[in-house]
Amino acid sequence: MKKTVAKFLPLAGTTIPIALILASQPAYAEGVSAGTLIENTANATFDDGSGTRTIDSNTVVVQVNELLDVTVTSLNTGPVAVTPGSAVLTFEITNTGNGPEAFQLSANPSVAGNDFDTVVDNIAIDRNGNNVYDPGIDEILTGPATTELLDAEANLTVFVLVTVPDGVADGEESDVDLLAEAVTGTGTPGTTFVGQGVDGTNAIVGLTGADDNAIGSMVVGLTSVDLIKSATISDPFGGSAAVPGAIVTYTVTANVSGSGAVDELIVTDRYPAGTRYRAGSLALDGTSLTDAVGDDEGDADTTQISVDLGTVAGGTARVITFDVIVN
Amino acid sequence: MLKKYFIPITATLLAISAPAMAAQDSPLVLEGDVHLVRVVTDENGVQTTEMVEPDVIVPGDRLLFTTDYRNIGSDPVNDFVLTNPVPAAVRLAPDADTGLEVSVDGGESWGALATLTVESETGETRAAEHADVTHIRWTLGVVEPGQSGRLEYPAIIR
Repeated sequence: MKKTVAKFLPLAGTTIPIALILASQPAYAEGVSAGTLIENTANATFDDGSGTRTIDSNTVVVQVNELLDVTVTSLNTGPVAVTPGSAVLTFEITNTGNGPEAFQLSANPSVAGNDFDTVVDNIAIDRNGNNVYDPGIDEILTGPATTELLDAEANLTVFVLVTVPDGVADGEESDVDLLAEAVTGTGTPGTTFVGQGVDGTNAIVGLTGADDNAIGSMVVGLTSVDLIKSATISDPFGGSAAVPGAIVTYTVTANVSGSGAVDELIVTDRYPAGTRYRAGSLALDGTSLTDAVGDDEGDADTTQISVDLGTVAGGTARVITFDVIVN
Repeated sequence: MLKKYFIPITATLLAISAPAMAAQDSPLVLEGDVHLVRVVTDENGVQTTEMVEPDVIVPGDRLLFTTDYRNIGSDPVNDFVLTNPVPAAVRLAPDADTGLEVSVDGGESWGALATLTVESETGETRAAEHADVTHIRWTLGVVEPGQSGRLEYPAIIR
């Protein structure tokens, strides 16, 4: 992002002030880098009767001071679905000033309007740059959580690691507020920290106040599964007595409720003692399944049926039916 | 006494004044300066513009570069042209005088900004913008003995 100005404008004239020779080449991204010297020299040509002459003005030099600015944004596209236990919120810190600056980070889990508050365990830096918290790889900041010096325009992905308490209810929401403050100082725009900028320049608080915060949101996605089993009996005589030869039709309804989803939901049911499975009777939501393993969601053997419902979203009911014959 | 040959250098390196040797016998003298243009809003919401010493400047600030000229000789000078390369760290302010004669190609060609174009890296031509200006010049012609004036341009720190 940085570009280095390729050349100095040639200085006409015979005397070059020493300060100009020492001046570093200005390098800047969007904002001119702190410490850059801005030099202005005008030159004139004229004819005084003895021919064309060229003269230079004096050179005026001003030095760009360090601007302290920072932005914090949440990198989560929406509320993070959480359950009791660990959760990760992802933020981006950008040094929008014009010089290298470190930022102290603090995460506040007690935000007005929270249904519950989390406990902030740690703040970590995304060291492998994949925007995913990798324990043992991404660096957990200790003490006052402070970033390294970030170059102007550089950004850093930061994780806030929290624990969601037990006892939260489905759909409850909680926010965490991550604050980044320039280590040099913060304050109202224009506040000056004398001599604390790059190369001994002053550091000036920019329009952001040299601090910024962003909210990371969580919503509890608790999902529960209720299995409801019922049976109807039809005996060989047209009645409903559990006599040998009677067919018992079991209906197992899996009710998934809550705002999340359950993964790898497998429903198994053992046949009661004194009964045997009626081949080919297994069905899911009214559609027959084979008894064989692996060709569809369900299978049945001599002891139990098993139906793999996979991922089931909250608010969904799946209905499994099968028959057994009373011995 | 070696001492008297030392030229004091201001501690901050700001506003270094280094008159060129040639200027000493020149009938025309130039004096450059720069100020920070600060807009101040008072409690009544009235905005006033102040010109202050550029001790503390940051990107986005507005500077006013000035060059005062004076003919200190006894004869008029002719064909007076003042050229000011624009420092790379600033851009010409967007509200600069549209009549300024500028160059966007390092002083090769000149004109009012609205008449100039620049070529992009891909070879496309577009209208020149204030940020493209590399040089400004003023063509004054004759400067009579004792005559003086000020030439200036506003710039924004990139």
